[in-house]
Parts: sequence; structure tokens; C-alpha cells
Amino acid sequence: MSARPTWLRSGRVLFGLAIVIAIALIALAAPLLAPHEPNEQNLISIFLPPAWANGGDAAFPLGTDSLGRCVLSRLIYGARVAMMVAIVASLGAMLIGAVLAHIAGYFGGWIDWLVGRTVDVWMSFPPVILSLILMVGLGIGLRNVILAIVLVDWTRFCRVLRSEVLVVRRRDYVAAARLVGFSHWRTITREILPSTMPLTITLLSLEMGIAVIVEAILSFVGMSVGANTPAWGQMIADARQYIYDSPWNLVFPILMIFITVLGFNVLGDGLRRALDVRLTETRRA
Amino acid sequence: MGLLVARDLTVSASLDGGRVPVIRDLSFTLKAGKMLGLVGESGAGKSMVGRTVAQLLPSGFAVSGGSLVFSEANLVTMEPEARRALLGREIAFIPQEPLSALNPVLTIRTQFDEHLARIGVAAGDRRPRMLELFDAVHLPHAADLLRRYPHQLSGGMCQRVLIAFAFASKPKLVIADEPTTALDVTIQARIVRLIAEMQERENTAVVFITHDLRLAAQVCDDILVLYAGRAVEYGPARQVFATSGHPYTRCLQLANPAMSGKRRGLYALPERMPGLRAWNGIKGCAFAPRCPNVIEDCTRAMPPLVEVGPNHAAACIRADKTARIAAPALVPAAEPRQTAPVLEVSGLGKRFVAGGLLRRSEVAALSDVGFSLHENEFIGIVGESGSGKSTLARLIVGLETPSQGRIAIAGHDASHPDFDEHRRRHVQMVFQDPQSALNPRRRVASIVTQPLEAAGVATWEERLARADLLLGEIGLPPEAAMRFPQQLSGGQRQRVNIARALCAVPRILIADEIVSGLDVSVQAQLLNLLAALRRERQFSMLFISHDLSVVRHLCDRVLVMYRGEVVESGPTEQVFAAPAHEYTRMLLAAVPPDDPAEVWQGLHA
Repeated sequence: MSARPTWLRSGRVLFGLAIVIAIALIALAAPLLAPHEPNEQNLISIFLPPAWANGGDAAFPLGTDSLGRCVLSRLIYGARVAMMVAIVASLGAMLIGAVLAHIAGYFGGWIDWLVGRTVDVWMSFPPVILSLILMVGLGIGLRNVILAIVLVDWTRFCRVLRSEVLVVRRRDYVAAARLVGFSHWRTITREILPSTMPLTITLLSLEMGIAVIVEAILSFVGMSVGANTPAWGQMIADARQYIYDSPWNLVFPILMIFITVLGFNVLGDGLRRALDVRLTETRRA
Repeated sequence: MGLLVARDLTVSASLDGGRVPVIRDLSFTLKAGKMLGLVGESGAGKSMVGRTVAQLLPSGFAVSGGSLVFSEANLVTMEPEARRALLGREIAFIPQEPLSALNPVLTIRTQFDEHLARIGVAAGDRRPRMLELFDAVHLPHAADLLRRYPHQLSGGMCQRVLIAFAFASKPKLVIADEPTTALDVTIQARIVRLIAEMQERENTAVVFITHDLRLAAQVCDDILVLYAGRAVEYGPARQVFATSGHPYTRCLQLANPAMSGKRRGLYALPERMPGLRAWNGIKGCAFAPRCPNVIEDCTRAMPPLVEVGPNHAAACIRADKTARIAAPALVPAAEPRQTAPVLEVSGLGKRFVAGGLLRRSEVAALSDVGFSLHENEFIGIVGESGSGKSTLARLIVGLETPSQGRIAIAGHDASHPDFDEHRRRHVQMVFQDPQSALNPRRRVASIVTQPLEAAGVATWEERLARADLLLGEIGLPPEAAMRFPQQLSGGQRQRVNIARALCAVPRILIADEIVSGLDVSVQAQLLNLLAALRRERQFSMLFISHDLSVVRHLCDRVLVMYRGEVVESGPTEQVFAAPAHEYTRMLLAAVPPDDPAEVWQGLHA
């Protein structure tokens, strides 16, 4: 046994984790880091280029947008929405998906059939359209964005985890646990859950990346948080109209989304490699 | 001059930065038309010989000395191109697991066609050749078979297809690596007979790799016994078996339960063969730590192979004392009590529904099974795979619900309000495959005390104390408690598996093939353990096994199952000595007899 668990020794995991933690810290410390109020307008200095470019202003390190708002400050505050959605929405989707997957996979029979068909029907809707419809119904706001993503994406967890549960369920140790008197609940939590945990964590990390993108799409079409809350998708939508005046305004939020999603995906891929039971078991043998 | 001649062949592996010889100074001569048996426990290096011939050594393994000459060409120094031309044409293989050796998405015909194309059969001649070969391996409906996929065939049929592949090119040498291990006894006899037949017809030499000494003694001309990568005994099969020169050969023989004559105790070799990593550190005889005849000189220098009879050599400095090793006396178990039975089964049946909503059909896995198990009685259940043995076990422990019939445990049947709880208290099951039956994420102490966890009253300290007791009882060191299953050997895992079932102090233990797939020495250890537990604990057992000799050794009564029905039952000795049913006779004939001089009916039937 070494001091660090295997998954922390992987370069991918460390790289992904570093990006994700950095962005989470930025989001948490936004009021301290941002040079300006994100919604503070400066109509005399609109479309300022970044500070290093010709005509830039040191007070606005990444320039200003069409209303003279500080791009850097808006990016920093935008991280709050992105991280909030990424973490809460994917945890929610995981919770619903994992619970249904374990129940369906463990009990089988008509429960499994019901859950399986529900997932099939659910997945036959295009996810973005489905979340747009939900947003129209629910109205805009951070809580509703999260809800919409949870309601769309729980199927991802459910489908993948269910097949994993089916595999573990067939192991004799699950039957043995029942024979020594474990209740269904205890069998699921003590015998099956530990085996599906690595996959769940991996899916969770990938889902966070997806949630960031979905939120950006929704705020791009103005169906996410209100106009008063800075979000990266919204910034892209704003900048799109003035792409010839100020291309920088388009580049920065895209870059932020790219880095964040990259972080989650590399983390997820690293965890998948490090936690995959099949891989670790062959290494031990 | 032999067809395949090994001279001081040494194969070594790079391990932990150093090199460890996995095969050391191996010499043998195999003449055309003869069969050489390579025998030994798993990990002794048997398969490495086959892999060296095929140049299929795992990465990091390489021949580091000696020569391996096949019809006057040294395979070790040969160009890869030339060697590839030999393989499949002059040298063919019969693999251990027939199902995984065939491609599941291609028909038998496609695969056979590819194989024949590779060995140079013209396109027009291929189909007649296929039919001819299938006829030779006694596969009926050959034309129909060619259209099928591997999963549509049974294991025995797949193995026959592969034997047909192997002999397609009329090879001079065939290497069979445990070709019958995954198959039923009755099929084992047929496959072995088939290999012998093909060998005779084509005058092929065969290297037969097996862990079953009795089987090797029956079918092989010569036997080479391997231990920790070295040949410890080499000679004509009957001599090696009848007058073993090396204590290891003798002990392997005594570890196998007898099929005829009086029941005797089993010689259980202590410990296990040292692992690969330890081989470099062994100074004297590698077998010395387990040898009953060991003296101080044994640990000084590696004993050379010395002549102990005509063409018969053994690597032991006290070979003359080997015959003195005797099986321990059989400690008689307490007689079963003829009081009310602890388990009564009557008219038990199970049907499985096959197919979907439309073409629904029912398959009877078990029909009208009835017997009763008395206190302190061991009943053996034998039969081929698919005979319903495991279904019966699963019905009794409650993993499946019966379609009809009655199961009564200690006087109560399903009509009792707390039957499930009652059953759980009295019946426990030991599963076949410890790999699957032990949660890899739990420590041994946590696994064996799972029944306490289910009750939910014991603290971790109490559980540790109980685990300590249980491990002592099943013969594992106390430090095993904090290990994970994958850190234990196969035999140790099976002990943990038994300990978990015993923790709940059941009156009935159901054991489903718990010694199959283990080496004979480990099997002997476990059988002795079960006998000892029976004396101390006083419990009843249903012992399911396809190995008749094991059942004969351990059980008072035997049930013979065939296609879901009990076709014969009675006291073990009686059933084995005078089988009444045709099927029982066939099963018994399929087992190689104890004495290789005796005619094996299964081989000549």
C-alpha cells in the first residue's frame, strides 16, 4: 500500500483536477478577484480591447463589451454559474440515475422493464430541445437550469450503471450475501454499490463537463439565468452581434468553456483508467 | 533419434529486474507416434513447454539456454519465418478452452476454410476435406455443422472441431494443453480416445499436458513430472506410476482418492509450490520443504536426475525410500444419525421459461426429485453438466423457487410462516468459484463474519475475534484476516468461502463443485479439512461434484442425476461397486482406473 491511492498518481487525474479546482476557486473568490462589478456599465469606454493590445486600458485587463462592462469580471462571475450548474446538476442527475439503475438492475423483472423503457423513451428526445422546452415551461433562473439538466441527463447515468449493476448482480458474492441474511437494502449498499462506485464517479466527472456545455447553450439562447447574472453563454451571444468590432469578446468566454470542459473530461478519462476494476484486477493478478 | 528433442532447455523470465528460470535444464525425447505426458501442479511450468515450441512465450520470457530440436531443426535458433511455416502444418495445437479458441462471430465453415487455406489446401478440395476430417473425429451431421456458430455447439463438440483442425495438416507433432480440463468426465474419455485414435492413424507424436496423473498414466507412453520448472521424474508411464522414484509423484498419486478397493486417507501435501519469485533463492531440492522424506542433505544441492529403473530417472537422492510414503489411515466419520431427517425433498421440480413473449417454451431443469438427508450425513450428487445438480442446490437454499414439490428443513416446509428465516439459520451454501463468491473489496475477516454483519449486533472487534477462530478452524494463518481475496491462493480462497458458510453454524451445508478446478494437492487438503470439520462440527452436507472419486471418498450416499432426474441412489460403496443404472455405469467407466495396467473401459468402449 502506498501513501497515495492509485487514482491520485495518474497524470490525467492530477491535470484535470488542477483545472477544475482552479476554476472552482475563482468562482468562490469572485468578489475578491474581479476588478469591477460584473454589471457595472461604462458607456464611455465600450469595446475596449485587452490591456496588452493597442488602445487597451489597464483598468480593464481583458477589455470591455458593448455596454462597457469589464470582460474579466464577467468571466470570473460567469464561473460561478458554470460551476454551480456543473456540480449541482450532475450530482442531481447522478442521484436519480444511480438510484433507478440500482433498483432496476438489482430487482430485474418488471421494475427493470419499466425503468428501461422510460429511459428509452426519454433518450429519444433530442436533449437540447428537451431542456429548452423544460426551460420554457419552468421559466428562467439558476434553479430551473439545474432542474432542466437533471431531468434530461439522469438517463445517461441510469443506462450505463444499470448494465454494470447487472454484471455485479450475477456475482456469487451477491447471492452469498443474501444467503447469510443481508436485506435487499444492505446487499445493494454493501455489496453492489462499492463495485459500481468507480464508474459512477467517472460518469459524474464527464457529466459535469456536459452540464457546463448545456448551460452555455441555454444561456446563449437566453433561456438560462436572467440577464442580470453573468454567464459565459450569454457573453458569447452578446459578443456575436459585434464580432467585427470586438472579436476578443467572443474568444474569451469560448476559451473559458473550453478549458473547463477539458478539465472535467481529462479528469473523467483519468478516473476511468485509474478506477476501472477490470484494469486494476489484471494488474493485481 | 526423436522427433522432438529437448536438451537442457532453459526458459527464463525477467522479473523484478532479475531473471528467473521458469524451466530449468529440461531434457526429453519424443519419438514419432508416441505420446509424452507433462504432469504437475499449476504453475510448475507445464504450459511453458508448449508455449516454447509454439514461440508463444509471454513478453519478458525467453529461451536462455539449451536446445529444442524438431525433426533436426533447432526451434530456438530458427528464423521466425521458417518457424511460422512449421506451425499449423507440421506442429499443431489443441487448446485448453475450446470455446474461446474459436471466433464466435464466424461460422465453423469460415474458420475451417481459413485454416485449410493457411495450410495450403486448394479451394476445391477444402469442403470434402472438412467432411472427411469431421467424420474422423466422429462428428455427425458434418454438413449441417459447418453452417453453425461456435456458441451453438457444446464444449465437447467444439473440442472435437479443434482436434479436426489440429489434425487437418497431418502434423508430425500435436501439442494438447489440458484439452479436457473444461469438459465433463464422459466427454473427457471420448476426447482422449479421439486424440489417441488420430495419433495412431497418422503416426503423430503428441505432447499431452495435464494435471491428472491417473489420466496421463492411462494414455501416455512416457511421463515427465515437473515441479517448480524442473523435471523431477521422467520415464515410461506405467513405471512412473507404479514405482514412482520421486516423492512428489508418489504424493500426487496418494492425494487422489481411489476409485476401487478400500477407501484410504488422502496424502495432503502441506503448503504449496513456491511461487516464481522464490525460485532463484532455492538452493537444494525445490520440493524439500513439502517432502515427507526430507533429510538435511536435500537442502544443500539440487539433486540431479538419476536412473531408478530402465529409462526411468528421478531427481531425488533418496529415491529408494519413496515407496515407503504411505497414505494416512482413513479416520472414520461418525455414523449418520437415523433420527428424523434434517432435509427432506419430495417431488421437487423446476421449469424455466425460455424464449420471449411469443415463442414461449418451458424447459424442465428438474423433475420429481426426492431424497432425505440425515443428521451428520454426507450425500454426493453426481452427473454431467446440465443434469440439474446446481438447480437442485439453488432450490434448496432458496435462490430459486420450485415449480412444484416440497422442501422441508428440520421439520418445517414453506407453509411455516418464518420459513425463510428458518432456512437461513440451518442451511448455508459454499459456491463453486471463490473468485466470484468473494467480494474483492472486502477483507477476509469481513467476508467470513458476514453472517454477524447481517444480524447487525456484533462490533468490529467481536467480528475480528470470531474471524480469528474461524480462520484457525479452516487452517489459515491469523494474518490472513486483513488480506483481500485476490491476495490469497485458489485453495486459500476456497477455505475462506467455506469459513463464511460455517460462521452461521448451519446444520446443512450445500457445496457446489467446491474442489473442481483445483490442483490435486489442494483438493486433498480441502477434502481432509471437510472430513475434520465433520468430526468436530457434526453437520450434514450435500456435496455436488462431477468428480466421482471425490464423492466416493467423502460421501456416505450418492445420488446420480441425469437430465433433471435422480436415476440411481444408494450407499456410495454399493452404487460404485454394482451400478444398477446404465447411466451410472457409463459415468463410472469414464473415469480412468487407479491402476494403469487395468483396461480403461471408457477408452475402449
